[in-house]
Amino acid sequence: MQILIVEDEASLMESMVSYLEMEGFRCEQAADYHTAIGSMDKHDYICLLIDLNLPDGEGLDLVKIARQNHDRSGIIIISARNTIEQRVRGLEVGADDYLVKPFHLSELVARVHSVARRTRMQGEEILTFGMIRVMPEARTCFVDDGKVDLTRKEHDLLLYLMANRNRVVTKESIADYLWGEYGGGYGSYDFVYTHMKNLRRKLVDAGCPDYIKNMYGVGYKFSQE
Amino acid sequence: MKLLTKTTLYIATLSLFLFFIMGIVFFQFLKNMSLSELDRELTGIKEVVDEIFPHFLGGQLYGLPGVDSISIQPAWPGIEPGDRFGDTLMFDTKSNQFRTFRYLQFQSEHGGDLYVVKLFKSTMPADKLVERVTLMMTMMVILFLAGIFFLNKFIFANLWKDFFDALEKLKQFDTVKEPVKLGEPDIEEFMDLKKVLERMTFRLSSDYKELREYTDHTTHELQTPLAVIRTKTELLMQSKNLGLNEMQLIQSINSSADHLSRLNNTLALITRIENRQFTGRKEINLGNLLDDHLEKLHELVVIRGIQVDRIYTEKDLTFIMDQGLADVLITNLLKNAIVHNVDGGGILIEIDTDRFVICNEGAPLSFNEHELFKRFSRDIRKTGNFGLGLSLVKKICDYYGFKISYEYQQQQHRFTVVLP
Repeated sequence: MQILIVEDEASLMESMVSYLEMEGFRCEQAADYHTAIGSMDKHDYICLLIDLNLPDGEGLDLVKIARQNHDRSGIIIISARNTIEQRVRGLEVGADDYLVKPFHLSELVARVHSVARRTRMQGEEILTFGMIRVMPEARTCFVDDGKVDLTRKEHDLLLYLMANRNRVVTKESIADYLWGEYGGGYGSYDFVYTHMKNLRRKLVDAGCPDYIKNMYGVGYKFSQE
Repeated sequence: MKLLTKTTLYIATLSLFLFFIMGIVFFQFLKNMSLSELDRELTGIKEVVDEIFPHFLGGQLYGLPGVDSISIQPAWPGIEPGDRFGDTLMFDTKSNQFRTFRYLQFQSEHGGDLYVVKLFKSTMPADKLVERVTLMMTMMVILFLAGIFFLNKFIFANLWKDFFDALEKLKQFDTVKEPVKLGEPDIEEFMDLKKVLERMTFRLSSDYKELREYTDHTTHELQTPLAVIRTKTELLMQSKNLGLNEMQLIQSINSSADHLSRLNNTLALITRIENRQFTGRKEINLGNLLDDHLEKLHELVVIRGIQVDRIYTEKDLTFIMDQGLADVLITNLLKNAIVHNVDGGGILIEIDTDRFVICNEGAPLSFNEHELFKRFSRDIRKTGNFGLGLSLVKKICDYYGFKISYEYQQQQHRFTVVLP
């Protein structure tokens, strides 16, 4: 579960490392292009987090090199550049995901999980949390042995909560994760609330304890406590 | 009015006026000259008449060279003595019409009897002369005016050439492009003009460039500290021994940083549009674009129980623009229609041959309609938005020459975008 983070902003790097390590990932740090190249040669990672703007090179080239070497790591570009062309370009050269700075750490974790899952691809993986079992690829969810019908967004929301289990997630980060550029602004937090309410109801109705803790004015926490 | 037309008009008016005055004076002068010449001739003949008077009386003479006609009558009582000049109309048997004649009347004494003698001379030759001269004068005026006109044209085409060149270049000047470079005029004033213009446009361009770079850098540089605030607060929030109170405080810092970075992003986008940094050109089918975005916003629509109706009269309406901006345009309009809707309300989208309309139910604006497209104008009853969405929409419309208008009637907000 090793991740390589290529980021020249020390403070941001530090935050990402702390948060990901809390999640049980081991993080290797590279503050510039050449360190990154060296690290990529030495180890295999399940995921590469690559900033596009590096002091001594282009992050995009790292993505290209990784793909030319048939590196099967998941690659997430993290960049402040937020235009369609740049996104498309990033995905074209082989990145799996594109995360625009500034991002929520909880969103980063969810995406790392998702990318890591896809790269491992050892059959269908089953995620469990308490009584809940989720098969992310098949988009199915079970409580005990009973199947729970979830909408696409509810499913995404559940995966997000599971990726950030036992952590506080803010409604802003949920809105951003679920709707991307459509999230944010007023109104969408109401939608988060609505989705959360529906998901909770469906899980509880299926006989599952209420894992979703509402933390008033802060967000939500998914835990068994 | 063009400079050339106006100049020509001024010159023409002034010269016509001067020529008119001069014409009248000259005409009178000529007329008087010819009359006094006639009078002088008649006076000369009067002396001869005195000498040969007896021949007339004897009936041996009927005419005199130099005059057209002569009449002699015995003087009547009460007639004033002395010479008198005058004009009269007489029937001319040669040309069968009445003509003007100049006459000299005087009295002559012969054999104790007093006679009144009148000498007549036709004014026709003199009139003809005046006429010819006037005609020639008029011809000269016309020639002169034509000359002035062509001279003016020539001056404008040659002397003012540098001026018009400069004007043309200035018209095409755009702060985004390079400063204006003008040719080398050989007229001092235009040389000055060239210097001033080049300096000014250089200044404009460089100021603009600097401003653009400044905004670019600022928005970019702000992102990192904002990201740090956000991630650190997120980390902090995960600390084990925090009460709900502390968490709420941290969350409000996090949320404000989040707000700030969204604001920053949007302002950066507006600035980039203003700087014309979007040059992508793609033919976009409006109907498909609207459908795509409605699909993405489907959930938001469903949650609020909003009914969306689509009337695409023109299914293949396309326009050419940057794909990213097209997305921003449509997203903001649709989001606006959803957010400012009422629960269970409706959205109507129409596409016509040259326009599209997005209509939604909702309460009237809480601020002036004219403020709608301005930055930071928003409904104060709703929190969390910046009031930048429609300002962004307007900027994009302006950029591509679309005309956007807004009206509110029957509880419906109606946005119409007319394509050029």
